[in-house]
Amino acid sequence: MATKKLAFVVKTLPYKTEASRLALTHAIASQTVEIYLADGDLVEPVVAFCGDGVLNCLKNQKAMNLYGLTSIEQHLKNSLLLDLKVLYCKEDMERLGISEDSLIMDAEDIGGETKAHIVSFSEIQKEMESSDHLLFF
Amino acid sequence: MGKLTMGCFSSLVGSLSLDFAVKLTDAAVKKGHKVDLWVSGNATMLSKKGQKAFKDYSALEKKIQELLATGNFQVTACEACAEARGYRKEDTMEGFKRHSMDWYLASCFSADRVLHIGGD
Amino acid sequence: MKLGVLVSDFRNMDDILSKLTADKLGIILVSNGVYHAAVKEGGGASSILGKSPHLYVLSEDLETRGFSAEQIDRRVKPVTYSDLVDLIFNEYEKVIWV
Repeated sequence: MATKKLAFVVKTLPYKTEASRLALTHAIASQTVEIYLADGDLVEPVVAFCGDGVLNCLKNQKAMNLYGLTSIEQHLKNSLLLDLKVLYCKEDMERLGISEDSLIMDAEDIGGETKAHIVSFSEIQKEMESSDHLLFF
Repeated sequence: MGKLTMGCFSSLVGSLSLDFAVKLTDAAVKKGHKVDLWVSGNATMLSKKGQKAFKDYSALEKKIQELLATGNFQVTACEACAEARGYRKEDTMEGFKRHSMDWYLASCFSADRVLHIGGD
Repeated sequence: MKLGVLVSDFRNMDDILSKLTADKLGIILVSNGVYHAAVKEGGGASSILGKSPHLYVLSEDLETRGFSAEQIDRRVKPVTYSDLVDLIFNEYEKVIWV
């Protein structure tokens, strides 16, 4: 029985490209990966938004209304609903002038209990160091 | 020898990042390593059979077939990303698999190294 | 950790590279990242070349863009795809593409 930890680090902006959406959908796929693995083996994802990537995490995204697309906001809430660890880089939030109340911090409106965490980059660095593999988006 | 898992989301022809992934695969397989290549997003174009090799356009179908013939290479397309782009199972080249995203994570689980190349 | 960073772009690399720390950090210039080895913008070398003593450039991508190994910064070692495979498997525990 083994657990492999994968760090999904999102540094790209949303919507012009699908990179950040794919980061979240791939991380969420950790919920079904066991069909390919031996009994008891798991993949544990951590999703970290840093650099310009913190801009993925703003509330009130209207992608569904305007493009007919599930928004990154909704994908983030799905991640939290599924109890994925989601981290936002504090220094990049400050650099970009983003306050906590403008960010998606939980998925309570859809029954989720897990919250996102605002952490310094040094904490994200620690997550990367303790991960088996890194996937930068 | 080890296993390298790569994920590449870059467009066929439109970006040379996919060519990089295939060239790196070729070098790794020649050195005796195993390689899994996961293509998602725009890179699912790589799965389409019948690609024409013109001088002005990078052509990867033949190299993919050669790599598959070694037995040390697997390539899988994200089924959802492919279908969204109109690439059906019957459009897929011989030996190219199609699965959901958890296949990539499972490949990462057993890999010695993972290189995620991402999109365009 | 021993981290290999494949730098694929010429612009906007400082942000992430300035944050990452590693016991051993390798910077491997590929794709448009090779310009960091070959171009002196404003007469000065790219700041990325000061981030680590372990600097490599993919020869094929250099030559594709019209440069030769003789034209690159002396701190950077040209490598082939075969060398790159060895770097990935033998020198670095984790590799990322930026």
